[in-house]
Amino acid sequence: MKICQLLAEPHRWLRPSVKIAAGAVVCVESEIRGDVTIGPRTVVHPKARIIAEAGPIVIGEGNLIEEQALIINSYPENITPDSEGVEPKTMTIGINNVFEVGCVSQALKIGDNNVIESKADVGRNVILTSGCIIGAFCQVNTCEVIPDNTVLYGSGCLRRVQTERPQPQTLQLDFLMKILPNYHHLKKTVKASQNPS
Amino acid sequence: METLCPCWVGEHPAEPKPDRVIYLVRGEKKTRSPLSQLYFCRYCSELRSLECVSHEVDSHYCPSCLENMPSAEAKLKKNRCANCFDCPCCMHTLSTRATNIPAPMPDDPTKTTMKKAYYLACGFCRWTSRDVGMADKSVASGGWQEPENPHTQRINKLIEYYQQLAQRERQERDRKKMARRRQCMPMAFSQHTIHVVEKYGLGTRLQRQRAGAPLSSLAGLTLKEGEDQKEIIIEPAQALDEVEPLPEDCYTRPINLPEVTTLRQRLLQPDFQPSGASQLHPKHKHLLMKRSLRCRKCEHNLSKPEFNPTSIKFKIQLVAVSYIPEVRIMSIPNLRYMKESQVLLTLTNPVENLTHVTLVACEEGDPEDVNSTAKVMVPTKELVLAGKDAAADYDELAEPQDFQDDPDVVAFRKSNKIGFFIKVVPQKEGDTDVLVSFKIRHDFRNLAAPIRPNEEAGDATTEAIWLTHHVELSLGPLAP
Repeated sequence: MKICQLLAEPHRWLRPSVKIAAGAVVCVESEIRGDVTIGPRTVVHPKARIIAEAGPIVIGEGNLIEEQALIINSYPENITPDSEGVEPKTMTIGINNVFEVGCVSQALKIGDNNVIESKADVGRNVILTSGCIIGAFCQVNTCEVIPDNTVLYGSGCLRRVQTERPQPQTLQLDFLMKILPNYHHLKKTVKASQNPS
Repeated sequence: METLCPCWVGEHPAEPKPDRVIYLVRGEKKTRSPLSQLYFCRYCSELRSLECVSHEVDSHYCPSCLENMPSAEAKLKKNRCANCFDCPCCMHTLSTRATNIPAPMPDDPTKTTMKKAYYLACGFCRWTSRDVGMADKSVASGGWQEPENPHTQRINKLIEYYQQLAQRERQERDRKKMARRRQCMPMAFSQHTIHVVEKYGLGTRLQRQRAGAPLSSLAGLTLKEGEDQKEIIIEPAQALDEVEPLPEDCYTRPINLPEVTTLRQRLLQPDFQPSGASQLHPKHKHLLMKRSLRCRKCEHNLSKPEFNPTSIKFKIQLVAVSYIPEVRIMSIPNLRYMKESQVLLTLTNPVENLTHVTLVACEEGDPEDVNSTAKVMVPTKELVLAGKDAAADYDELAEPQDFQDDPDVVAFRKSNKIGFFIKVVPQKEGDTDVLVSFKIRHDFRNLAAPIRPNEEAGDATTEAIWLTHHVELSLGPLAP
């Protein structure tokens, strides 16, 4: 890349890297692109996809990301990738979240102990706090902050509030961390290369 | 009933497709339905629909634990299962989950041991019994109680009083009938009183309690008078002038929307009808029932399911598709106003013997032909259908039967099915569907009728009778 290009696009200084913490189990068949940080004790199943297009993704610890789940930090629809003045927004995911099979999450901020059930679709403008459960096949594309301990369920995305947050899946995480390495190769931390040219 | 959230984007869920081929049922009420939903009484040799048969309850069972329950017990338990619960929030079935909690050992209060505690949880909406404050139970089943209705006693007393009143009224009515008819037969008597819908749900329990009195349904000639019945006296309800006032902040308090119950959740608990979600208690699951159908004219059973709830088979299953040839639409060309087009239909023979079918177009001014919007020309020759042969698929031999099929009429023939053409001329322009109707006449061998004893030994064939059915086909809209 030329120097003038580098100065114009400062977010391309560093080649995007994937930082995987020591205790995390990330299978090689998963697709991780862009600037992604994965915390310890997180399990990423094969065929899961974590794509950081429009900004970095930071995933906390103790998360469970199942097969065919898609966590994507994508550009909003009306903005093209090369337009000026687009600030890269970081997507933060807290601890003890569960992304079940086939779900799609574009939410920029996810708290702790949330569960996004199978084939659910969470839009970009949603902010999940703690203990939220997005039911199976629910499509949430509103622009709001979902309060604590809310459950969305049913075909009309009905809501109710639980009195207690869902339990962290410690048993499942322990089991997977023991069994997955027996059958899959794991990804290790990729060292970021400082020299773009 | 379903209500959709206004933000729902997508297809309307499961709108039923219009029925394409419907048969007319000539009962008390002329109903038209597809053949798959009709029954055939082979004693009357007529089609029957669900509306012209009598429905009787066969047995009760719980849909989740599949436990059978005799009708008397079901009535006692208000048609609810004893073991299974429904989620008060989403009406799904609740499952029992266990957790380990530390509890002090009975011998040594200082040490704690893990004991199992059970709670109810819904897999769909994640409701748990802890949400309404129900404590965890130490037994897996049987520990859960529904909250008691504070008005139960008063309601029970009212029910008893009205049951007694209904009993007395019925006795008087029976006595009057008896006095009018000198030679009434006890059997006719009992049939009438059994079929009469009981007012206020008089149960057999009440009759059994009074050991001295005979059942009024049988032997009505010996009604005992002056028999001492316990007179139940009720206090009339009192109307109050003053009503509880609304709370002061009724209009100013902000609504906590997740706490408000929906109408459906509220009305499923008619005892309390709570307005807050924290008072929604789980109710026992409703029992489902298996029903048997009976022809009203000849009193024969048309459909009788197996008693076992796990079995979906039938002891008696006189459905129309296994007796009447079925017409199906195979392909429809582009239909144009006042232009003749050929529609390909198939005709399937459900019985094992050869069937002859004749199609007749409806005449002008036919009272059964009200809906048709097109003229139809049906084949004039008689169509012959081979019998249904269960082993035909496995038989490699070529078809031994050779029907001389007119290629203009019969498109193809395959074991017990033929495809044939009809000519349709749509008569109405516009957006309405093209509807044609015709009569189908076929021979029916009644295997249920008893063979007369004086028939010759060699003659094994039963007589065939000819049945005529009125069929309507919906061919869809005109081509644009």
